[in-house]
Amino acid sequence: MPETRVHFADELRRLEEQTLGALDMVGEACARTLEAVLHQDVELASYVVNDDDRIDGRYLEVHQGILSLMARQAPVATDLRLIAALLDVIRSVERMGDQCVNICKLVPLAGREPPVEREILARVERMGRQAISQVAQCKHAFARRDVALAEDLVRQDDELDQLNREIFRLALELGDGHHAREWGMHMMLVARQLERIGDGAVDVGEQTAFVVTGLFREFTDASHPEIEARRVG
Amino acid sequence: MSVAEAPVARAVVRGSVRGARVREALFRAALLLCIGFAMLALAVLLADVAVDGLPVLSLDFLTSFPSQVFPERSGIQSALVGTLLLMVVCAVFIVPVGTATAIYLEEYADRDRWWNRLIEVNVQNLVAVPSIVYGILGLAFLVRGPLELGRVLLAGALTLGLLVLPVVIIVGREAIRAVPSSIREGSLALGATQWQTIWKQILPGALPGIATGVILALSRAIGETAPLIVVGAAAFARFNPNDLTNDPFSALPIQILAWVQAPQEEFRVLAAGAILVLLALLLVMNAGAIHLRNRYEQRW
Amino acid sequence: MGRDDGKDGTMRQVTEPEKERAQAPPPDAVASGGRPRMLAPELGHAAVSGARHATADAGAGEREPLFEIEHLTVRYGGRPAVNDASLDVAERQITALIGASGCGKSTFIRALNRMNDLIPTATVEGTVRYHGQDLYAPEVDPVLVRKRIGMVFQKPNPFPKSIYDNVAFGPRVLGMEGELDGIVERALRRGALWDEVKDRLKHNAFGMSGGQQQRLCIARALATDPDVLLMDEPASALDPISTARIEDLMFELKERVSIVIVTHNMQQAARVSDMTAFFTVNVDETGHRYGEVVEYDETEKVFTNPSDPRTEAYVTGRVG
Repeated sequence: MPETRVHFADELRRLEEQTLGALDMVGEACARTLEAVLHQDVELASYVVNDDDRIDGRYLEVHQGILSLMARQAPVATDLRLIAALLDVIRSVERMGDQCVNICKLVPLAGREPPVEREILARVERMGRQAISQVAQCKHAFARRDVALAEDLVRQDDELDQLNREIFRLALELGDGHHAREWGMHMMLVARQLERIGDGAVDVGEQTAFVVTGLFREFTDASHPEIEARRVG
Repeated sequence: MSVAEAPVARAVVRGSVRGARVREALFRAALLLCIGFAMLALAVLLADVAVDGLPVLSLDFLTSFPSQVFPERSGIQSALVGTLLLMVVCAVFIVPVGTATAIYLEEYADRDRWWNRLIEVNVQNLVAVPSIVYGILGLAFLVRGPLELGRVLLAGALTLGLLVLPVVIIVGREAIRAVPSSIREGSLALGATQWQTIWKQILPGALPGIATGVILALSRAIGETAPLIVVGAAAFARFNPNDLTNDPFSALPIQILAWVQAPQEEFRVLAAGAILVLLALLLVMNAGAIHLRNRYEQRW
Repeated sequence: MGRDDGKDGTMRQVTEPEKERAQAPPPDAVASGGRPRMLAPELGHAAVSGARHATADAGAGEREPLFEIEHLTVRYGGRPAVNDASLDVAERQITALIGASGCGKSTFIRALNRMNDLIPTATVEGTVRYHGQDLYAPEVDPVLVRKRIGMVFQKPNPFPKSIYDNVAFGPRVLGMEGELDGIVERALRRGALWDEVKDRLKHNAFGMSGGQQQRLCIARALATDPDVLLMDEPASALDPISTARIEDLMFELKERVSIVIVTHNMQQAARVSDMTAFFTVNVDETGHRYGEVVEYDETEKVFTNPSDPRTEAYVTGRVG
């Protein structure tokens, strides 16, 4: 059967590529952000902050492209779900980029010679690697329309949440003086942002399931702890 | 290279165009010549008749009865009245019968049935049958035979009717077929029965076409001589037929024939006059048909 | 909303008591002596109005089926045009039939008001029930069927008469009671045409624009006070503004008249209809094309998340 609406299919493909490409950009930003945090690299941090303009630009491009496609091509069914999902994903991407920026803004504030609590830093590093892995995984899940892979993100995100709680507990117990506590609070904020990045990846996973099944289901729902309990238990 | 600049190209183009124009002009000239020839023949004929006949035309001519002895007192009243009555009776016959047949063939007949296909094929053939055959038919079945009407106007009119009926049927079918099926469907979809649809939508739409067809049929019938001879129209009738089923009758073509065959020159002149009257009748009828068609024709 | 998915997308929404009422014997079966008449709708209408109150109380979502179509197969000269189609059409909704050309949707819709009777080679198998009455039962009069179930065609087909006579034609041939002027005005108002033509009712209908002519055809169909309006691609010959006006008209009409529309314009089906049925084209061994109902569901579902891949392929335009 000869393919019809070739032009439309091409445009749709291009929009998806742009969106997933933006996920790649976020992954890179996360990696640089983690480096900056671990090595107190202020220059790298300011690079990430400036580079976020690229991600914002990509957001606008995709947003405009989707509006234009909807106006001109009237997509329905799977195409429509894909477009709606891309809109959601690119917004998540933009937010994740902002979260990296938030982290990077904290780097210069942590002091020149911060007292480094190894436990906390180790966990921050693990959170960072986990977040980067989740971003990569959610991109693959979406590109391959792999619902199972998308749902797996939830399990991974649990680890992220766990690490976040641990960092919080550890930071509370930091008693060695004003500078240490300040550093501890900054690390808590970093952990918070990383946890949000993880949630963003889970959101992309939910959109993947939506495109494939047509049903929108929240994988985790903060307002329904029984879902959490059911899964954990 | 533009055409305007290259002399060779220009010559080639102009040459071929010139050749085409010449051929064009020659063709047109040939066509005009043919038309001119036909028109000329007709004009000569008319002129000949007019020259002889015009002096004869007068009110007396129209109101007097023909005389075998006195050409100067002869007229065409009986023939004219006979022809007019023939047309009327013929019309009364062919309009309902022809229209009903056309409606049946177009609206009700199942094309798969052999008898319907037979009817369809033969209606076309009937138009080509020589008119004298119809005359014999009329003689055998109307004048003599089962109906035994005798040599009366009714027999003559029915014979002529049979002659031109196929024309009415064919034209009627065309007119009915011209009504688009969307009108039919629209009417039926509103809850009309097939008969209501025919009576209120199809026939009114087809009527101008049918009327034109009837007039054309009659103008063919008006000039038919052979059937009338066989059926027994009289020449030199000195009275008008009062009883359509009992009295003998005359008709213009018959009277013209009688006068043309007469030895005296005076009678032949009378024939010319009668021909002019007949032609005038034909002209009026055809003009009427054209006027009807132009005025009421339904453009779908 | 309960849904019986046993028969390729058939939706059964009749409750048992309503079904019994619709099939009860008519009160005055001998009234019109010889002439065959349509029995159930005289009753069916009464049962329906009774049922309407009942369903209004029962709550939204429970509608009495207008048409119950089971295993409908229509053949022309022995070859099927639409094969084994089953679905229920609900009242006071707009139901759209979509599908590629040659899928039999026009044939299907014409089976609902017995217009296929006009084609000598057409045969109809299966049942079509209208308010519980089998439309093809021998005692049913097709004329009455078409009074209750009106039709509007693709190309506007006004009669070559005045606007008034066009609209009055149906009531006149059916011998409807009531003052004709009133009937005509009501019909033209319902057809959103009254204001434009009230001063020129005696003018010939051919003098109107295409969009006006089509609205005239709709008004003409409404004049017989039908229960259902079948529309076979009513706007496909019209410009976008006229199309939009007719779609607006459909929304107004559907409160009293159920509408079944065939359209090859998917956006139109998506815009106007409540339920959509998708017909796919099959090709048999001889290369003959015929249609089958593949999916029948709420329009929103068909256009956001269709169940059948063939529906998906068609609505996204990837196929035919």
